[in-house]
Amino acid sequence: MKLAKNFNEGIRRLRRELDRLTVTQLVITIMVITIFLILPIFSILYKAFIYHGSPSLIYFRELLDNPLMFKYPPSLDIAVFVERYKFKVLSNGTRVLIPLKTLYIGGRGPDFGYVFNSLFVSSVVTLTASVLGLIAAFIMARYDFPGKGIFRVLLIIPLLATPFVNAYVIGKVLGPGGLLNFVLRDLLHLTDYTVVIVGLPAVILVQTLSYFPIVYLNVLASLINVDPTMEEQAENVGAHGLRLFRTITLPLIKPGLASGATLVFIFSLEDLGAPIGLSGAFGDGLHNRLMSFYVYDEFKKALTLEQVHASAYVISVIMLLIASIAFLSIKKYVSLRQYAMLSKGGRWRFRIRKLGIKGTLLAYCFLAPLVMVAALPQIGVLVLSLTDWATSGVFPTKLTVEWLSSLVTKADVTSAIKNSLTYSSLAILIIITVGTSAAYIAARRDIPGRDLIDLLVTIPIAIPGIIVAVGYLVLFGTVFSNSLMDPFINPGLLLIFSYSVRRLPFTTRTVFAGLQQTHVSLEEAALNLGASRARTFFTITIPLIAANIIGGALLSFVYAMSEVSTSLILGSRNPAQGPITFLMSQVIYASAAVGTVSIAAALGVLLMGLQVTAITLSNYILKQRVAFLGV
Amino acid sequence: MVGVKLVNVTKKFKDVVAVDHVTLEIKHGEFFTLLGPSGCGKTTTLRLIAGLEYPDEGRIYFDGQDVTDLPPYKRNTGMVFQNYALWPHMTVFDNIAYGLKVRRLPKDEIRKKVYEVLDLIKLKGLERRYPTQLSGGQQQRVALARALVIEPQVLLLDEPLSNLDAKLRIEMREEIKRLQRRLGITTIYVTHDQEEAMVISDRIAVMNRGRIMQVGTPRELYKRPRNLFVATFLGRCTLIKGKISKVLPNSYVTLVSEEGDLKLVGIIPSEELEVKEGEEAVAIMRPQDFSPEEPSKPSNVIEGIVDWLSFVGPYVEIRVNRNGKRILINVPTDFEVEVNKRFKAFIPYDATIIFPSTYG
Repeated sequence: MKLAKNFNEGIRRLRRELDRLTVTQLVITIMVITIFLILPIFSILYKAFIYHGSPSLIYFRELLDNPLMFKYPPSLDIAVFVERYKFKVLSNGTRVLIPLKTLYIGGRGPDFGYVFNSLFVSSVVTLTASVLGLIAAFIMARYDFPGKGIFRVLLIIPLLATPFVNAYVIGKVLGPGGLLNFVLRDLLHLTDYTVVIVGLPAVILVQTLSYFPIVYLNVLASLINVDPTMEEQAENVGAHGLRLFRTITLPLIKPGLASGATLVFIFSLEDLGAPIGLSGAFGDGLHNRLMSFYVYDEFKKALTLEQVHASAYVISVIMLLIASIAFLSIKKYVSLRQYAMLSKGGRWRFRIRKLGIKGTLLAYCFLAPLVMVAALPQIGVLVLSLTDWATSGVFPTKLTVEWLSSLVTKADVTSAIKNSLTYSSLAILIIITVGTSAAYIAARRDIPGRDLIDLLVTIPIAIPGIIVAVGYLVLFGTVFSNSLMDPFINPGLLLIFSYSVRRLPFTTRTVFAGLQQTHVSLEEAALNLGASRARTFFTITIPLIAANIIGGALLSFVYAMSEVSTSLILGSRNPAQGPITFLMSQVIYASAAVGTVSIAAALGVLLMGLQVTAITLSNYILKQRVAFLGV
Repeated sequence: MVGVKLVNVTKKFKDVVAVDHVTLEIKHGEFFTLLGPSGCGKTTTLRLIAGLEYPDEGRIYFDGQDVTDLPPYKRNTGMVFQNYALWPHMTVFDNIAYGLKVRRLPKDEIRKKVYEVLDLIKLKGLERRYPTQLSGGQQQRVALARALVIEPQVLLLDEPLSNLDAKLRIEMREEIKRLQRRLGITTIYVTHDQEEAMVISDRIAVMNRGRIMQVGTPRELYKRPRNLFVATFLGRCTLIKGKISKVLPNSYVTLVSEEGDLKLVGIIPSEELEVKEGEEAVAIMRPQDFSPEEPSKPSNVIEGIVDWLSFVGPYVEIRVNRNGKRILINVPTDFEVEVNKRFKAFIPYDATIIFPSTYG
């Protein structure tokens, strides 16, 4: 009896909650996520687990037996010294043999095979980025010293995405004829050896430098949100220094640290920028023996789906599994609700101490080298785009506008820019619709499955882009073969959807935060006066959170413009429809021979310009300083 | 304008019972107040009537029509929120006109009605302002105008005065009352301020922990509270515990204090309460019911040492210590009292209220 009554009550409640607006919003959200995220993922699972029509693990066994994938024993020759001899003509005409000593770091090892290489790189990068980010955040949040404002800006420069070119620049600096060797060997005569860093250590270096700001920003946001009285109370009862940090501060900032570190792990796992960029600088090598590169390469080589080796799907599944585990372990920290709590920062006076001279010097000793090295790629990209540095050796020799002007003159470049703008703009329309709907349901409606909606719109952060791209190729390449949705003919359309899904969380999160900060009685007043939910939503809710929608959409837009994984894999199916990042990868990959990297650098400058503009605008609109990658 | 009826309405939030089997009947044109401490369920009850929450059990009727499952926008109630909920992106005019636009009234009529109501609440000339450019009192009036302009069947006011300063609060409560009289609109008012409730209401329902403790006119509740909660919530008072020593005619009884040193004659406030001799009971005396001179009515006499005195303004508040019991008494300002002197006060039998302890 009671059960039946409860059931009826539940149905009645559901019918009240599910008005026309809510149903529409639910259907839109679930449809977009299902068709453009879940089904593609399932089609990869199908490819990986079904062998001749029945479930099987045969492809996994094949993978285990493949020495490329799992290398045993692993090669651990991290440093290799090589001596070669070369004739040199002296001024008196005699030729002498002089030794060329080179120290290769990462050239032959470490190499554990693709799978463990990826895990190794991601783990080390997570660790290094976390340590650097944590220290930087602590200094910036708790101390005041001259020049702090400059560091605040410099510390987030590495977040300006210049895919591939940043790695190329690092390669150029670290390469045999690069800046590092010039300084150590030729200028300071510290060593006879030419030092070359390639392979996994180079990948780790590039990724650490580009990703530590993610930890930095998340921890900074957490630190600012720690109620200062908590630490003061601890000091009051006698805790200080490291003990205070370990027992009070660290546990309180754990959400920021955990989500920052996990995002770095996932970003590192799916990164294509470093392996491709380093391949551009050094050619083929251990730096591209990574799962992400493997999948990318498999699909790049294949003309049709039939040519793709099953191992690519299996690797995809492994990547998906690793990323999902990482995401689920911090799920509660990256859910919409947790984010909204974080974003209300800055209510109290922070505990900021003025540093003395000694302290200031210490802070400089840590921060100055960090930002100098970390901003190097962005500076390098700027130099590449403005000079002949790509072909000139250690230093550039002349200024030129050739590369920047190619943005408007070269046909393939302008067409790539036009493609990117079109896809990103259309994606933004979808993102605003879905993001606002999902955030509204999660913030305002009391329906079962609300947590699921929350999960669905935050999980794209954790799904490697390669997985999305591969999923699209499989699903739409087979089901919608030879139609408008066929990625082998018309990848542009699918790129719009991949951008929409992948960059959705940025908008959903800012909109959700906006809804949390808008008192629900403003909407209730409209309902009370006779406006339907839909009318209330459009005339009251939307205008009230417009700033959050625009701010979030701007962020989604720039991150769509600089999206790499799906742009490359889908774009390569029809180069005429390729976006900016696809063109950059093409140019970089070929650049070792042709030196066209400068065009990619010019595109990188364009992307950076767009990002700076959008982030400044967005921060201005949202009136917040910190969390622009507040993921 | 309608009568509102709640039958056995219950609302739970997770495990907390916010509204517990509430049954109420509010008459046509009545000014009805839900009064109680914070968290007693009064706002939830109001929101249930507005349709902003739905009950887990029970039904709600407007003039006999079951509205329990109607969404808020089909109930035609006008609500004033505690924080006013004025839309910051609209002018005063647009805020007020919103409900009329929703009802698709012609433009001229909307204008006419908005200006009428602006006139009514004395805000003419401010219609182009945005809410943030208004003072708290003005915002409050706009919120009221926005609710009134749609000519609602019921006006719902959720602590509308709690954000105003003390002086303005008193002005506004009179104005609200006058307006309600003039429009004759059924009004349900929520407040935790007992004085405000007394001044403004035709009838009051006192609530505690989700339940209705008593419903009645301000006078009934004050003079004849049916339980200890209502008695103590509606004003300060002194409690004397003891036993009923004698049941007298006309609901009067005699109570002897626990220590046996004080004998009080008082009234049992409701005929429904049955009392027996020897039963434990509590006597309640309000400070303002005492007088230092013997009144004409039959009265109890309280005598003791003044051990605390404070000048309040209209009166002097003193505590008279009688064998450790400290009795709160209000004395006229022109009457001479001194600390540590003996003092004698009288309280009429019919102002001494006695409850059996088992009740309330």
